[in-house]
Formats: sequence, C-alpha cells, structure tokens
Amino acid sequence: MSGKFHYPEIIGSGAAMFDMDNDGDLDVFLVQYVGESRLFRNDLSNGKLAFTDVTRQSGIVTHGNGMGAAAGDFDNDGCVDLYLTNRGPNQLFHNNCDGTFTEVPPKRAGVAGATEGNWSVSGAWVDYDRDGWLDLFVGNYVKWSEAASEPCHAASGRPDYCSPNVYQPLPSRLYHNNHDGTFTDVTANAGLAVEYGPALGVSTADFDNDGWMDIYVANDGQPNQLWRNGHDGTFRNAGLRSGASLDASGKAKGSMGVDAGDVDNDGDEDLFMTELTGEGANFFVNQGAGAFEERGVRSGLNSLTTSRTGFGAAWIDVDNDGWLDLLTVNGAVQTMEALARAKDPFPFHQRKQLLRNLGNGRFEDATGRGGLAFELSAVGRGAAFGDIDNDGDVDVLVNNNNGTARLLINNVGTKNHWIGLKLDKLGARVQVMLDDGTSIWRRARSDGSYASANDPRVLVGLGPSARAPRVRVIWPDGKTENWSAVEIDRYTSLTEGTGK
Amino acid sequence: MSITVTAARAALAAVLVAVTLSCSSTPPLRGVVPPDLSSAEPSVRDQINAAYAAIASRKTDANAYGETGKLLLAAEFLEAAEPCFLNAEALAPKEPRWPYYLGHVYKVRAEADKSAAAFERARLLQPDDVATLVWLGNEYLDADHPELAAPVFGRAVSLQPRSAAAMSGLGRAALARREYAEAVRHFEGALAVSPQATALEYQLSLAYRGLGDVAKADSHLSRRGDKDAVPIDPWMDEVRGALHSAVASENRGLSALERGDYRAAVDALRQGLAYAPDNAALRHELGTALFLSGDAQGALNEFTEVTRRSPGFAKAHFSLGMLLVSQGRFGDAVDRFAAAVKAEPDYPGAELQLAEALRRTGRAADSLSHYTHVIKSDPRMPEARVGYAIALGRLGRYGEARRTLTDAIRALPDQPSLSQALARLLAAAPDDSVRDGRQAMAITQALMKQPHGVDLYETMAMTLAELGQYDQAIQWQRGAIDAAMKQGHADLAGRMAANLTLYERRTPCRAPWRDDDAP
Repeated sequence: MSGKFHYPEIIGSGAAMFDMDNDGDLDVFLVQYVGESRLFRNDLSNGKLAFTDVTRQSGIVTHGNGMGAAAGDFDNDGCVDLYLTNRGPNQLFHNNCDGTFTEVPPKRAGVAGATEGNWSVSGAWVDYDRDGWLDLFVGNYVKWSEAASEPCHAASGRPDYCSPNVYQPLPSRLYHNNHDGTFTDVTANAGLAVEYGPALGVSTADFDNDGWMDIYVANDGQPNQLWRNGHDGTFRNAGLRSGASLDASGKAKGSMGVDAGDVDNDGDEDLFMTELTGEGANFFVNQGAGAFEERGVRSGLNSLTTSRTGFGAAWIDVDNDGWLDLLTVNGAVQTMEALARAKDPFPFHQRKQLLRNLGNGRFEDATGRGGLAFELSAVGRGAAFGDIDNDGDVDVLVNNNNGTARLLINNVGTKNHWIGLKLDKLGARVQVMLDDGTSIWRRARSDGSYASANDPRVLVGLGPSARAPRVRVIWPDGKTENWSAVEIDRYTSLTEGTGK
Repeated sequence: MSITVTAARAALAAVLVAVTLSCSSTPPLRGVVPPDLSSAEPSVRDQINAAYAAIASRKTDANAYGETGKLLLAAEFLEAAEPCFLNAEALAPKEPRWPYYLGHVYKVRAEADKSAAAFERARLLQPDDVATLVWLGNEYLDADHPELAAPVFGRAVSLQPRSAAAMSGLGRAALARREYAEAVRHFEGALAVSPQATALEYQLSLAYRGLGDVAKADSHLSRRGDKDAVPIDPWMDEVRGALHSAVASENRGLSALERGDYRAAVDALRQGLAYAPDNAALRHELGTALFLSGDAQGALNEFTEVTRRSPGFAKAHFSLGMLLVSQGRFGDAVDRFAAAVKAEPDYPGAELQLAEALRRTGRAADSLSHYTHVIKSDPRMPEARVGYAIALGRLGRYGEARRTLTDAIRALPDQPSLSQALARLLAAAPDDSVRDGRQAMAITQALMKQPHGVDLYETMAMTLAELGQYDQAIQWQRGAIDAAMKQGHADLAGRMAANLTLYERRTPCRAPWRDDDAP
C-alpha cells in the first residue's frame, strides 16, 4: 500500500493451477502485482504435497504489475501454455514440454493487448470458431495511470479508493488463433467493440446449447455482457435480452468473479457472480436456450453474500454429492469502518464463504463447517480451483492482497464416490448418466473465477453410488462420443475419437 | 473553533465509557464510541465531536443521541451510528424517527432482518408514513418475503395513490411471485406517474417476458435507465443535509444536478467551495451547474478560474471549450480542446471535440488524425466515425468517406447515425462514382422504421432528389423545415431552405452535409 489510495492496489491478482510438466498433478502459478510472479512445481508423491519454486529455471520472467493467468494449450502440442494479464502489456509463454517456457514476443504473438494504458484482468482460452484451436478472450478493465489518478473520498471526507466509474473502461479483446503460434485481433470484426465495460471476470460456455461457445463478461459497475456466438465469427451481446446482465431490480452491480455451471442439474449452464458488500451476489438460472432468471434473493445467495465483497469464486461440488456448491474468496475495496476504528493497518479483510447447494434451488451457509481455513480473514482476490492432491475432490488456491497465498485442501469430498475425466479439449461438455435415469452435466474449463486458471479436468461427484456410470462427451467441434462404465474414484483420460 | 474542539475532545473521554445511569427510571443504554475521525474532513470531525460532547452533557437526552446518529449515518459511520439510535429509541420509545433511522443503518449494512424489524417498530409508531412503508416493503422483498411486502406496499398506495415507489414495490412483489400480469399493471401505473423512473422499465420488461410478450419486453428494455422510484422522505433529506463539508456539499450538489435542480446544485457546490476553495473538481462542477442554470458568464468565470489555478485539469479546458462552442466561437474552442488533450492525452471526449472544432473552422485535414485517435481509443463512439467521414468529404475524398462509413457500420451495426451519414453520402456526394440513389433509399427507408429526427426527413429529400423525384423531395424538405420550426430551430429551418430552393429548381443536392452539421 502506498498510502495514496492508488486504484490498482485494491484490485489484486489471480492464480493458476495447471499441469505444466504433464506429470499428472497440478502445479501452481501465483501472479504478483509487485515483484515477480512465481511458478511452483508440485512434487506430489503418495498423496503428499510438496512444492518447489521453479520460476527461475522455467524461463518465465514477468514484467510486474501482474493481474491474472489463463492456461491453455494454444498450439496443440499437448503441453499447457500460459497467458498472463498485466496492467501494461500482457505476456504469452509457450510451454516447451520440458518444464521450461519461452516467451512469445508480444508483437509476434499479437496478443499483447492495447499497450499504452492497458489493464487486463481475466483471460479465457476458448475455441469459439470450432476449428480445433484455442482462441483467446481478454477482459480489459479501466484506464488508469498514476499521473491521472483521481482523489476519492468517503462521505466523511476520508481519502479512500475510488469506484471504477471514475475511470474510462477499456474494450476487451478477442484474438483468433492463426494455427502458427500467432493470433489476430478480431475484436472489431467479431462485433465485440460495440459495447464494453470495466471487465473483471470472464466465463465461457455454450449458454444456449447450440453447440457453439459463448462468452460471459462480468463488468464492475456496468451491465454484464453475454456475447452469443453467431456461428460465423461474430458475436452479439444478448445480456440484457436474456436477462443475464442486471439484477432483478435492473441494477448493474460491481461484478468481479464469475463462474458458469449446471447448478440445478437440468442440462444447461447457470451463472454466479460475486459483487460488492451491500449488493449481494447475482445468480442467473438458465431457463433453457440461454434465457435467464435472476434468483439471487429466491435462492438465498443474495442475503448470504451481501456482507462480503467477493472476488474469486467457483461452482464446485465440495462434498461430491452431485450438486454444485459455491466457494467465494472475499475482501473489501473500500475501508471497513470497524477495522479502521480498530487501527487495522489494512482494513479490507473478510472471511471466505462456503455455500452449500441444497438441491432444491436454495443454498445454505456452510462456512462454519468449512474448518479453520474459513476462520481466517484476508483480502482475498484470485482463486484457482482444482484437485491438487489428486484425491478426487476440489481444492482451492487463494491469492490474497497484502498477505500470503493459501491452499485449502478439501477433506470432505472423498467421503463420496466420484469420477475424474481428463479431456483433451477445453469446452468439451460431459453428460454423466446415472442409474436412476438422471444426468449430471459438466464442462472442461480452465476459465471462470477471478483472474485465475482452474483445473481443466472434470470431477463429478456421484454421492454414495458405487456404480460405474455411462459418459457422453460433446466435443467443441460438435461431435459426440460415448463411454460405458467409466471407472469410479479415479481419473480416466477420454480422447476424442476413442469413444463410441 | 479550537475551543470547541478541545471541549469536545474532553467530553469524548467521558462518553467512551458505556453510559450507565443512576436514575432507575432510565433504560439501560449502550456505550457510544466515536469512529476513527483522524482522516475525516476537519469540519466533519468538529461536527461529530461536538455531537458527542452534547451526549456527554445530556446523557439521557434522546435527541442528543439521535442527532449524533444522524451525523454518523450521513458520514457512513454505521457501526458508530447504531448504538446512538438504539439509545435514542430506548430513551424516547414513542419517537418513530429513531427506529426509522436504525432501519436505514441496517439497510446500508445489508442486514435485511434487522432493518425490517426496525422499520416495523417505526411503522407501529407512525402507521401512515409512506416512506417507512416503502422501505419496510423493500426489506421484505430483499429477504425473500414478497407475501409480507405486498400488503405493506398496498397500504402505502392506499395512503398515497400516486407514489411511484409504492406502486413499483407492488410490482416487484408480484414479479417475485411470478404474477406477471399484476406486475405489469403496477409497473405501468408507476411509470405513468413517474416516467423518469427509468429503472422500472427493466422490471416491466421482465414482467412482459414472463407473459411471453417479447415485443413489449424488448420495447421496455430499450427504454431502461438507472433512475429508480424513491419515496418522498423528509427524514432522510435531513440526514443528507446534516454534514457541513466539502464532500457532503459536493454530493448534495451532484444529486441536485442529477435531478435537474440546478439552482440547488449551485448553492450546494458554492457551500462546498467555502470549505475547499482549491478543489478544482468542485469548482468545475460549480461551473457546470451555473451553465445548466443559464448563467453562462458565471460558468465561464469558474471554468477560467479552474484553468488558472490548475492548468493540468483537463476537464475544465474541455468545459470551457464546450461553452465557447455553444456561443459559436469554434476558433477559440480549438485552443481549449487542444489544452485539454495536452493535459490528458487519452481523453477521447475532448479530442473528438477538438477534431470537430478543427473541421468546422476549415481545418478538415488537421482534424483527421484526431478523429483517428479517438476511434482507436474508444471504438464505441459513432460520432468520431461520422465526423471523420464528413472531414474526408470536406477534402473531396468521397470514396474514402464511403469506405469509412461502410466499415463503421460493420463495426457498430446498431448506430443509425452511421447509416444516415452513408445514406447522405450516397445521395448527395459530388463524386458520381460514389453516389447510389437506390442504396441510399433502401437505407433511409430502413431508418424511417426506427425512432428518428428531423435530419432524416432532409436525408429522405436528398435521396428523392437524387432519384429525380423532385415533387416528393420538396414535400419531405418542407416537412423537415416545418418540424425544425415547431421544435424552435428557426435558424436550422432557414439553412434548410437552400436545399428546398434546389429541389424546386429540379436540381439535386450535391452537399451531403452543411458546414454546421455535427455528427
């Protein structure tokens, strides 16, 4: 903290969980706004975690002013590459498949973002044109510079951090993969330059079940956007018409983190986003074909979250009961009175929240049962979600502002059965067909949350059922394959062309 | 002032300890602890310290606690405000204001249950207060109790049938119960009495969507805005006016500006400047309020003063430029806009105006680079693309202008101003290879189906003349002139007469834009 209330200080950075060395476990990348971001190799052995800082030997050298990370294999060589968003030019690191990375020169890659005054936060790898190559969407935030920094004050006249509407939003970017290690900025031609806001969170999914990936952008204080794929390289913002832009009263909230998932197990993807203290979370339930109803109040999520300013968040089936729960990491963006009065040097910290899906459209606060990790108060920002110890449940990596990172290990999920699927294509949809005739739908994704990259493997909780389920995969190119009796309580690789 | 502060500080020590009372008839009270005022504005600090001093000297006076609570609520010290109002309520249990303000404290703290309970207590004491009923109903809705909210809003409507806030509450309750027809009825009623409450348009669109009427849903969606329906609320007005400080005055001034009360805005902003005479942003806002209130000279003085005191304050240069433009002084405005861009190189609004002023003063070639920079900096601005095309036209580069507009329409397909500019170019460009009357007609006819202004009548006249249909062109041009006159734009109507003369002579127009055309 500079004491000058510089806006970027309060926004904060993300994290990534990705298997950088293809050894079957998730490694960790922590983005740093001040100083160098760090890469930690996971030396998991017999269920025991151990991490080694391999930043130096990895070849990853960051510029500083880091905001977020997006992980995806953009050149289809089987190794996961890393895209880093910054306040300043972004960076693309190609994975050399030997534990090292090479930075693709920004001008050559064509994905540096608007250089002067650039401030990117969340990125998402997405094959929007179904050509088998990952394209890249980059959510950009606002124009800010120290020289043009505006002084802002609380009602008492006390200096405080500004709200985003003081600054001019930056247009987000869509980069098309040229299949040769370079990208073309297609933002304007794709129709995405028409509308934009201060973007903090990005989630990609096929929201209207038409087989083409759409893009959801969570904006800070302005209407969110749902960019519906036009199947011809163009997108149209369907956010307002689909009912997924604003809360039920028509208000644009300060959306930060976002995630899509089939919360009600009806075969389509619903949306959750974290908001400012006092606003309460938005929860958009997909009614099919991409029309949404905001059910923050009805589900209980609004009142459960209204005391927090949320950033990182994801739908995760914490207890593997087959229903997606929520975990949010929180921290205020303006001075909290009670902490200031107690002379707290960083009066913004809040506790994380664990919200359990009751399977009836409502959620309960399970934070108190979450263990000691949930009693810690921090200025939580990025959160990456994945099974870091490969035991079949989702763990959480949290990046905190002005504090140490935290790794939350899930000790609950393994009490139920599960299947883990390693799919070689981001965006692939999975239908797990259970004996009782019901299905669970999940998606291979690394995007969502806030400024972070998640485990791309698909984990599906089966509850007490020990029967090996049938699995159908809808690949991003639209092809469908089936696998019968996928083994439970272990990970299985499903490769396109090997099913029935 | 120093005596007051010293006395207040001495008094604070006494209040920091929980107040216990010797009189057995006085209810037990909570300790009231001042907030951290170390970085508050001095005037706010003095006010709040004096209020705590009043509590210390009148320990059983409900008003002393309540008035302190109001100041704390205004300053958003909610933790400190709560015990003040609780004590006030305990000491004066028949006074509805204190639970009412407590309801607001809990509301801002997003504690819906506590807020509803406090508003309920206020309602018991004053059952017919519409503001209390509306806030109570809203809290019930936020707590997912539409069945409790509806009768509360119903009572409010029965007391004040033209309360848009109460009617929209009934609409929200109906929407929450998925009773869409009823929701439509209430939202339409609210909008009928308060059409400026544009936030209700969104909720009305949701109700129509629930009924399956997509056309009406879309229509209301297109009219949505941010202004909500709020109840008349004198008690909260007192809170908003409680603090005497630069920030509080600025907030009051900005609120007044937003609701169009420019005189009140001027007064509030002047008060703010008394506390912070060097605050450039505040003085700039005062200039804006003066201009909007009709005092152009006063505005000019304030903007000039800001640029004198703070030469790097780009917005003041920009506003000065806009003021000069409004007086037709484009040449002088160029210098102001250039100063704004120099002070803040990434200021698309100022640079667009710089380009416009350059073009209007015969410097179209100089304007091009500025338009280009604006388009790159903020691709959403159709005005920059139209202005760029007009500037190309001024330079005789009509083919480039056509390509520019065609590309712009591809990038921003929902911007009618771009389509109309292209239609004009196709109808009236002097370059034969650029004109295409039929395409111009197709575009113009499509635009006629959307909401449009007088200028589109003129475009239609240009297009008809290009197609040789002069009689119809004359009719449309006369229609444009009549409409301009009715709207009070006699000067514009006069300039339009030149084209009418052309058409009456069976001559097509060969100037897509006049010199004074703005995008």
